[in-house]
Amino acid sequence: MTFDAGTVARALEELEAPGESVVTSVRVPEGLRHAATVLQQAGLISSWNELLVQGARDRVEAIAHRAGLDAHYAEHPELRPAVAEVALALARMDANELADEPELIEQAATELIALRPDATADDVLTYATALRAHRPAA
Amino acid sequence: MATPAATLVLDSEAVTVLADVGHRKHRALLAYLEGMAQRRSRNPSHRVIVPVAVRIEAGWDRTDPKAAVINRVSGARDVPLTGEAANTAERLRATTGVSVVDATVGEAAHAATRPVVILSSDVDDMHKLAQRIQGEIRVERV
Repeated sequence: MTFDAGTVARALEELEAPGESVVTSVRVPEGLRHAATVLQQAGLISSWNELLVQGARDRVEAIAHRAGLDAHYAEHPELRPAVAEVALALARMDANELADEPELIEQAATELIALRPDATADDVLTYATALRAHRPAA
Repeated sequence: MATPAATLVLDSEAVTVLADVGHRKHRALLAYLEGMAQRRSRNPSHRVIVPVAVRIEAGWDRTDPKAAVINRVSGARDVPLTGEAANTAERLRATTGVSVVDATVGEAAHAATRPVVILSSDVDDMHKLAQRIQGEIRVERV
């Protein structure tokens, strides 16, 4: 079945509106249930139900986002950003000083991908931070 | 030490660029969303959000087949404009002079988990809003 990100998004939109809910049976490890009860009694969460719904929603959105981007890259492989580009974008969003050193990020990406082809953009930033820390003083 | 962005807010220009595969900035903005998606895989509490007024301004109807691209690449959750949110947005608009839609971007940032990054073409107005909101609000140019 083809994944439709819009269908997922529209279904999630309905969470904002008062509407029907369904009762469903979920097998939960006893320890998890107990931990949630302790948090609720301490006033740290309002309800077990809210915890489950919010957690499930965050996870559903994260999976849908990943699947949506992968579908986009499958259709337009030329649009997939390189890991160095993603790392630079994260550095900018994080107000990380590495944002001012795109060449260092590029170097880190090249070296790290040669060692670990599945490295993430955050892995590249960590590697770049180490490169900078061990860079000889000018 | 830099604190990773917890929330990414999309403004109208960001939505317009992301919805258009042929736009010259499309790939560059995808890098931001790819980064957030990678982090969400490890920590789903990271969020991408879009105020509903931005969707209207950008012509983003999720049910429209033309919205297929933005639907799938953004991973964005709607920020509804409730009565309380409208009050906050109006206060921001009144003190900064930004547009109504931009004020709702400010309101969404105000309500979101920090640090917040606003992805916008209108950097000056967004900085005005950021100065009026407590907590770390960053602005990235589209």
